[in-house]
Amino acid sequence: MHFDLIVIGMGLSGLMAAKTASESGSKVLILGKGMGALCLFSNTIDLLETLPKGMKLDEGLSQWIKDHPQHPYSKVGAKIVEEALTSFTSLFPLPYSFVSAGDGNSLLPTGAGTLRPTYLIPTTMVAGASVREQGGLIVGFKGFKDFYPDYAATLLGCRSLTLPPFRTFHEEITAAGLARSMEKESFREEIGREIRREMGNETRVGFPAVLGVRDPWGVKKGLEETIGAEVFEIPILPPSIPGMRIFNRFKEWLVQRGVTVLLGHSVSKAILRGRRCEGIRVSNPPLSSFYSADRYILSTGRFVGGGLVANEEKIYEPIFDLPVSQPRSREEWFRKSFFSNLSHPVHQAGILTDSSLRPVDDKGERVLENVWIAGSILAGHDSTNEKSREGVEIATGYMAAKCAMKK
Amino acid sequence: MDIKTEVLIIGGGATGTGIARDLSLRAIPCVLVEKGDLASGASGRNHGLLHSGARYAVSDPEAARECISENRILRRIAGHCIEETGGLFISLSEDSPQFRERFLMACEEAGIPTALYSRDQALELEPELNPDLLSAVKVPDGAINPFELVRANAKDAERHGAKLLFHTGITSLLIDQNQVRGGLALDLLSGEDYKIEASFVVNATGAWVNQVLKLAGLRIDMALSKGSMLITNQRLNQRVINRCRPASDGDIVVPNETVSILGTTSVRSEEVEDFEVTPPEVSLLLTEASRMIPAIRGARLIRAYAGIRPLFQSGGTGGDRQISRSFALIDHGERDGLKNLMTITGGKLITYRLMAERTSDLICRKMGVDVSCSTHLKPLPVVAESLRPKDRLQKIAPGGEVLCDCELVRREELEEILETMQFRDIRDILHRTRLAKGTCQGGFCVYRLLGLLHESGLVKESPNKVLKAFLEERWKGIRPILWGGALKEEELIESIYKGIFNLKDSVEFGVGSSE
Ligand SMILES: Cc1cc2nc3c(=O)[nH]c(=O)nc-3n(C[C@H](O)[C@H](O)[C@H](O)COP(=O)(O)OP(=O)(O)OC[C@H]3O[C@@H](n4cnc5c(N)ncnc54)[C@H](O)[C@@H]3O)c2cc1C
Repeated sequence: MHFDLIVIGMGLSGLMAAKTASESGSKVLILGKGMGALCLFSNTIDLLETLPKGMKLDEGLSQWIKDHPQHPYSKVGAKIVEEALTSFTSLFPLPYSFVSAGDGNSLLPTGAGTLRPTYLIPTTMVAGASVREQGGLIVGFKGFKDFYPDYAATLLGCRSLTLPPFRTFHEEITAAGLARSMEKESFREEIGREIRREMGNETRVGFPAVLGVRDPWGVKKGLEETIGAEVFEIPILPPSIPGMRIFNRFKEWLVQRGVTVLLGHSVSKAILRGRRCEGIRVSNPPLSSFYSADRYILSTGRFVGGGLVANEEKIYEPIFDLPVSQPRSREEWFRKSFFSNLSHPVHQAGILTDSSLRPVDDKGERVLENVWIAGSILAGHDSTNEKSREGVEIATGYMAAKCAMKK
Repeated sequence: MDIKTEVLIIGGGATGTGIARDLSLRAIPCVLVEKGDLASGASGRNHGLLHSGARYAVSDPEAARECISENRILRRIAGHCIEETGGLFISLSEDSPQFRERFLMACEEAGIPTALYSRDQALELEPELNPDLLSAVKVPDGAINPFELVRANAKDAERHGAKLLFHTGITSLLIDQNQVRGGLALDLLSGEDYKIEASFVVNATGAWVNQVLKLAGLRIDMALSKGSMLITNQRLNQRVINRCRPASDGDIVVPNETVSILGTTSVRSEEVEDFEVTPPEVSLLLTEASRMIPAIRGARLIRAYAGIRPLFQSGGTGGDRQISRSFALIDHGERDGLKNLMTITGGKLITYRLMAERTSDLICRKMGVDVSCSTHLKPLPVVAESLRPKDRLQKIAPGGEVLCDCELVRREELEEILETMQFRDIRDILHRTRLAKGTCQGGFCVYRLLGLLHESGLVKESPNKVLKAFLEERWKGIRPILWGGALKEEELIESIYKGIFNLKDSVEFGVGSSE
């Protein structure tokens, strides 16, 4: 089958690219092995750690761009980053939407009782931003091994409550299982009563971020009614339920728009002729098929997603075998100390591009004409340490599609 | 809380705990101090090979004879710490056939039983072996769990009245005229110090012996040799695989429960505490070990680690591989005129019992008591519940919490251990379970362990401080092997701690710190 655009990789950048391209009226195919880092790490939308509270977004970005000419944000430009964020948030109308607390970052509590700066937050997390000043009750579930209310509460200056095991669970309690239970009114009432009994003078109650996948706002409201206090979510270990919400919303929207969405499909090979890609071989065992398009966007992520692969000697890109900018030898990939205040050089490795996000070699020569690059596979940034993961994904996914669909 | 005893033993490795057991079985009161946890020195950082002695047969016949004799005793008294795998010495095309003949003869002379296998026989036993091998010699090598061994000795010693103090270092020796009378001990966790008066002091500090001797103005000639090892996440061989050639780097692969351990290197070191596995060592080990077992090339590594061999140099030149693996018992009364102080060092993990026997014999002679050693006759107690994954799987109750998914460690198991031990440090519990020993090396489960410790009120400082210290320590073993699947998983783990949890080097957002 032939498309205007094929997007390879179904993380946040790929989804943004598919959305943007389909809005321009193109016939789009998006395919991916899995749901990408989105469902592992994305709870909120990070933009940049160094966006102090009160600083305007374009101001902070412009400064960053000036200081980091090779950064993906510098390729996109502050204006388009903002445009891309608006396009993203438009997918999430109230009540479950993404908001920023005024200008700059908010500090949200985490499962380790720390505070974490982030830019856009889902409305179910907003009330957590002031937990350190205002206190609260942090609630967890006995038998749920990925959240320890006492640990987080002590560090946040809150009280904690561990709910006893509930009849609902016959197997190990997982985030997904909890999220499903949370969607049941009977379960909410059962725990709500228990919490109400334990409430002191707290006015807010923090839960691990498992307040349902389909209707988190409804779950929040339901809990608030039984408990009689404001409820918020706290991001925890992967998998990320809030990330799944984002994924599901994109998928639903794309399918509705007529985009072809193939999950569980991985590209085994790109067929190249000269500097053009002519098609891709896709495997979905036991089947293997061929798809072609005028243009392609590569948004396969880094090592976790399989966009980059490292062997003993070097880092390579497995689909197009694109040049990967990287430290000279493996010895230089990581620093001696894990918590070094300088980031590990391997994180800066990735695909180099020109200003239109097309891949180039180390001399700056364009290597492919009809392929654009988006997301965390791009060289020159460190999403974890800069806290730029979702921002870079959204901005470059949007920009790659805009560039690809020009003319 | 000053203490009086007959013998003060410094060092809680195999040698020190072995001496504590031997003396207490002879009803001689003793106190052991160890500055870390049990087996935190070389006894917890070695290859885990129950030597048959074959490795030393050609070059070091005395060490070989010690090994085979102790090998037989340990099978009897410490069967639960040992897997009787057997071992093969394989010859590849580049290995000299003359060496194999000398090797067979030397084994015979040392009393090490052998059998010669053809290529096909060897491949049938060990399908992953390099098909280019020429022949293999079977020897009674095995795998030994050093932690279990040391813990069993410690437990038996305590049972017979010995006192064992951990996280306690000896900071000076009490010397009166020409005689040592004990030492000054420092509790490294509480900062408390006190005197331990003793008639005899045994320095069983392995690679640290000269640091202790320095307290008395003495020193002996030691060569410290760093050896590095790599662990794969699956067991590639059923038997210990050695190369049939003069002992060299990367020529042993020891199976250990569900993994294989490749080793070792030999690099002269000045450092006893702060050392690391270097990238050239990793490459060397992979190149050499994959000559024997080619599948090692594609295997997922889970950790690199290293230990320091305390080698006693009785003169002579040559590389560290030539220094005898036999041990040295030094009577400083005779050698230096400082009475009742002795040093026991060198040797091997598996000769610890013999080293303890000789040391205890010397003390008895000096005390003028006539009780003979019984450690070779009495079996060691079983300390831990079975650690085999199959047994663990059966224990998981429906709805039970498995905190460590790689090694199937249950919450209840940890709670039981916490009840029976005096918890002082997170390392104490890590040494006693399989938690954090699997593929992710604690990347996921240590947060959970801290959650549990915090709930039980056992973490006195900020749990994140402990968490960060663990991750930093873990990094030493992970960093050298980060490529392929390991790097992929590490990206995830770094994103959790630095990303989702926002843990940082110094600045930490939380109560009590400024933003
Ligand atoms: C890489 C490598 C591989 C090896 N492989 C094998 C093998 O496969 N099979 C085998 O049999 N042997 C092997 N060995 C040898 C074996 O590990 C050692 O010979 C043995 O463990 C030494 O035990 P130890 O008790 O004498 O010393 P250690 O285990 O080092 O114990 C000394 C202890 O003293 C403590 N200490 C030091 N200073 C003080 C102080 N001032 N106060 C209190 N405590 C103090 C230290 O913390 C340490 O725990 C290997 C060694 C290495 C390094």
